[in-house]
Amino acid sequence: MLFVGVALGLVVGVLPGLGGTSAVAILLPITVIIARTSPTSAVILLAGVYWGALFGGVITSILFNIPGEPWSVVLLFDGFPLAKRRGKPGVALASSFMASFVGAFLATVLFTFFARALADIAISFGPPELFAVFIMSFATLIGLGAESPAKAVAMIGFGLLLAAVGFDTITGAPRLNFGQTALLSGISFVPVTIGLFGIGEILASAEESGIGYVERIAARVGFKDLVETFGELRKRIWLVLSTALIGFWFGTLPGHGATAGSFLGYGLARQWSKNKEDFGKGEISGIMAPQAAADSAAVGSLVPMIALGVPGSPTSAVIMAGLFIWGLTPGPLLFVEHHDFVWGLIASIYLGHLLTFVICLSAVPLLAMIMRIPYAILTPFIVLISIIGAYSLNNSMLDVFITIIFGLVGYWLRKTKYPLAPLVVAIVLGDSTEKTFRQSLIGSGGNPLVFAGSPLAATLLVLAVLLLALPIVRSLRRGRRRAALEQDTVGTAID
Amino acid sequence: MFVAAVAMVDSRAGALVDRTGTQPGGIGAGFYPFWAAMLMFVCSGLVAYRAWRTPTPGTAAFEGRDAVFSVLKLIIPMVVFTVAIVWLGFYIVSALYMGLFARWLGRYRWIWVAASAVAMPVAIYAAFELGFRVALPKSVLYDAGILPF
Repeated sequence: MLFVGVALGLVVGVLPGLGGTSAVAILLPITVIIARTSPTSAVILLAGVYWGALFGGVITSILFNIPGEPWSVVLLFDGFPLAKRRGKPGVALASSFMASFVGAFLATVLFTFFARALADIAISFGPPELFAVFIMSFATLIGLGAESPAKAVAMIGFGLLLAAVGFDTITGAPRLNFGQTALLSGISFVPVTIGLFGIGEILASAEESGIGYVERIAARVGFKDLVETFGELRKRIWLVLSTALIGFWFGTLPGHGATAGSFLGYGLARQWSKNKEDFGKGEISGIMAPQAAADSAAVGSLVPMIALGVPGSPTSAVIMAGLFIWGLTPGPLLFVEHHDFVWGLIASIYLGHLLTFVICLSAVPLLAMIMRIPYAILTPFIVLISIIGAYSLNNSMLDVFITIIFGLVGYWLRKTKYPLAPLVVAIVLGDSTEKTFRQSLIGSGGNPLVFAGSPLAATLLVLAVLLLALPIVRSLRRGRRRAALEQDTVGTAID
Repeated sequence: MFVAAVAMVDSRAGALVDRTGTQPGGIGAGFYPFWAAMLMFVCSGLVAYRAWRTPTPGTAAFEGRDAVFSVLKLIIPMVVFTVAIVWLGFYIVSALYMGLFARWLGRYRWIWVAASAVAMPVAIYAAFELGFRVALPKSVLYDAGILPF
């Protein structure tokens, strides 16, 4: 059962657009039949898909520069450069698999021992604390657009605007829909991401190398790659473990999953690194840290779901829907009444990751065969798969048009050297950021001091300001005239 | 090249500010998008200012006409076929799209063109329609009951 789930998850993960969440959702009807005999097998199947998709999304990110899943977007920054420019696809893949494995393993150990206690802490987070967490993840991103903080902030603004399209979550007022009913439900980040990265990349590569050129990365994870990667992992073991720890903690907060965790991990790895200029050019830390955080956050997101019935991520929300369908009620009582179920799930996390790790290492040459497909077939294939991914999300042609439009936008932004990552993160986190911000203000009767009143929120916000200040201090030290301008920018960002 | 991009971002941001210029004061529905737009407006203005102050060498947007054509060769069919999905449905369009690329860019023999044009929609049908039970857009002929896709 676990094997079937993992294999399905891998296939789904490799296909861009069709995400782990939708795969789990599509399988729900089937699990009802399985759950009649054993609910534990049913949850193992669904969890297997989740773990498989976590690994599978990585492969296309590294080899094609197309994210198979939202959480593998971050691997585009360093994974693809390492595979392409430095010619080490094997090391790039092995790095992400190993980091995933380590991250997930740590998270699972934590899950086993601290599930109950962690769930209690997570539930005590109010809107001001959550808002502070979001601001901090934006702050880490501004440093990512190393070339120009102003461009990164502009992209965050753009992303927040896109996230705001549709009904206002608090008052229900329609916003930015320009009179179009179709836009009332908002712009989902999935078609935007598929467009920006998938289609945008095809267009950009067509310009660079001309039509008819096939990008070939001979990817085989050999024994030598494994040994080399293992050495690299040992050098970075503390980085991987600490980002995994933070990812796990982040995952347990309701409403976030692997995606937000992966970006947080990348930002932290970059901030902590001594040679920041290597990031974006194929730095192994830039692969290992976010991957460890993502997997760990994915495991963490199951904690509040199982222990409290509050899903930590979209995927765990769907798994929770499954629990209800099978006649189980998630919550503290689950540990008492159905302890075999809970332990079955925990066992599936250990075994599932081990299994995925082995399958991934052996199946990469097979998956890399896709690279031998000639351009005249591969290009329309990627476009068609992108269209399917966008369409199947809501069965809506609007999403397809959004994908194509953002493909063109992404191509143009790439040409003008605007960073794409802050844009995507802002779209993903935009709604929750706004909601927590306004909930805090509503709770305090419009008093902005609510953020200073909570010690945790205040600490996090101060940290965010420090993270924002870092690039400014650096450029001030370089004594450039630009520095003054950048300060203005950051001032606006904090507003 | 730089200035053109900035102008685009600028005008887009400007338009949105104009549109959402509701109460920037309280915490109404317009508050948040307004400040997001403001953020973007200020920053892109900053980039524009910087681009204006520092003359950039090599201002051509594309390196030669070949580059423009190779990008347009992708963009135009992509847009045309995507719009065509509304009437022709996904399967007919994907067959035509695959066939066009195989013949036009790949210059394969007709037999291979036909093979790729047929294989792709069939594979997609098997995987998504039958396997994952995702219904993809159908053609007007399907609505009229003439074709099964």
